[in-house]
Amino acid sequence: MDTAKWAKRSASILGLLGVWFVVGALGPQTLPGPAAVAGAFVGYVGSPVYWNAITLSTLRVLGAFTIAALIGVPLGLLIGWSVVFGDFTYPALELVRPIPPIAWIPFTILVLPSLAFSLGIASFEIDTGIVFITFLGAFFPILLNAIAGVRSIDDEYSRAAQSLGAADWQTFRHVIYPGALPSVHTGMVVGMGLAWVNLVAAEMISGGGLGFMTWSAYTGGSYPVIFVGMITIGILGYVSSTIVRYIGASQLPWMEGSTA
Amino acid sequence: MSKQESNPERRSQNRNQDTNGYEDMENGHRDLDEDDGRARATGEALVEIDDLTKIYDPDGAHVTAVENMDLEIGDNEFVCVLGPSGCGKSTVMECIAGYLEPTEGEVLINGDPVDGPDPSRGVVFQSNRLFPWKTIGQNARFGPQMRNAVDDDRIRELLEETGLSGFEDSYPHELSGGMQQRAELVRLLANDPDIMLMDEPFSGLDAMTKELMQEMLLDIWEEEDRTVLFITHDVAEAIFLADRVVVMTARPGQIKDVIDVDIDRPRDSSVLTSEAFNEYQKRANELIHDEAERAMEQKQQETQEA
Ligand SMILES: Nc1ncnc2c1ncn2[C@@H]1O[C@H](COP(=O)(O)OP(=O)(O)O)[C@@H](O)[C@H]1O
Ligand SMILES: [Mg+2]
Repeated sequence: MDTAKWAKRSASILGLLGVWFVVGALGPQTLPGPAAVAGAFVGYVGSPVYWNAITLSTLRVLGAFTIAALIGVPLGLLIGWSVVFGDFTYPALELVRPIPPIAWIPFTILVLPSLAFSLGIASFEIDTGIVFITFLGAFFPILLNAIAGVRSIDDEYSRAAQSLGAADWQTFRHVIYPGALPSVHTGMVVGMGLAWVNLVAAEMISGGGLGFMTWSAYTGGSYPVIFVGMITIGILGYVSSTIVRYIGASQLPWMEGSTA
Repeated sequence: MSKQESNPERRSQNRNQDTNGYEDMENGHRDLDEDDGRARATGEALVEIDDLTKIYDPDGAHVTAVENMDLEIGDNEFVCVLGPSGCGKSTVMECIAGYLEPTEGEVLINGDPVDGPDPSRGVVFQSNRLFPWKTIGQNARFGPQMRNAVDDDRIRELLEETGLSGFEDSYPHELSGGMQQRAELVRLLANDPDIMLMDEPFSGLDAMTKELMQEMLLDIWEEEDRTVLFITHDVAEAIFLADRVVVMTARPGQIKDVIDVDIDRPRDSSVLTSEAFNEYQKRANELIHDEAERAMEQKQQETQEA
């Protein structure tokens, strides 16, 4: 990217800081300015509490996102491809989809256990409820985009494959799957963003990670730390979506104007 | 119909002049030193369209696209179907390809009814349908790859003949329209179909590229035993290519007349200025004029109703 572009993008961030600075100076006592938050940041960067929260949240997102992709992509491709399969599965999924992440929390607390693992010296505890809610955030965009991806493929590509001798599964492998990939990719980028959204909502109520860190900063009255949490979540969400975007683009060398 | 004994040398010179400096077609020409005396159609019907009627029924709208059509296409024959837009040409082709089931009547191949698509009936679509996610080389290999029978020499030969050597690793969108059409032709030929069904394959190309593609297609067809059903709404194209031109009426599509084109083969673009060609063109124009008018009126009516 050229320097002019970078200059404009930096200006956008500086502008945000400027607004914050002014509002912080004029606004309510409870709103800490950039300087106070920077101070809190310096304190937190040296603290294991901060890094543990980051690690825990990142692992939850990574796990939930991976499961969502492993289920959402094949399921979406099949629903898009087979009318019968779609009729059997899609209506149920459409009913579940509008339920917001927060509304799932009581259910997950009641039903989903916390799993404890022990691997040699280290032991883990996985809060499956939080992972599940995070999973939902990534799952639906991935699923819906996979379905839309299949449906966007012109029928003539499948016809061409059939007339060249492709059996149904070969048409799926060589036409449906690659043809839907650009849309699947979009779904994954969006899904990664929503995974963070759902994760933080779940963590605030249910515990652990950056969500809980941010929420307990509020209940404990250390307001600058709220912003440390918010900014960290923002950066991690952005970085992980960008990674997904780049990995995806590298898998789509045939797209016009793709970065690979 | 007879085939002229041609002089390969003169022919290849001609082609060189025609193609010089245009895209990379100069690599695409090929000396035809064999097969020029290949026998014309044997007269046996390879494709038999028997009383074909196709009615589309979207939401009860009931569009009769083709009505009671009878047509036989002989082995190794080159038949063009000429008709105004919307008259049911693609519908006929899709019934032969096995994408559509006739509402009435049937299509027989060697006496057997069509039952779905088959690699012996290759299709070239109006809008280019190379797989965008595969390279030119992967596209070319696709058919044989489905049967685990890729013959690399044959693919290389075809790419060379069509001037696409060196583009194996390019993706379709990186190629010009003419090159994409050639690549689609390569993909089809690599699969060695008995029948080539081509639905206005050159209609999106500029006049110059179109002419070159037509010549290339004739070269390919003359080189090997193949039957071609070529759909077009371009009168000159139909006469230049075909043994027989089937002129269709406006919708519901029926056969209005069949023109036997008795121009010597092999043909190249010099044919286009010959007296005989002009005569055929005049006749076809007269036949199609009223139908084109009717088709336009139909279209206008539909737009008003909509
Ligand atoms: N799937 C379809 N549903 C309804 N009408 C169709 C469909 N396909 C084609 N038609 C109609 O049938 C007629 C013939 O279409 P087509 O065979 O594509 O004509 P051509 O190829 O000669 O332009 C047109 O009027 C077109 O609108
Ligand atoms: Mg058509």
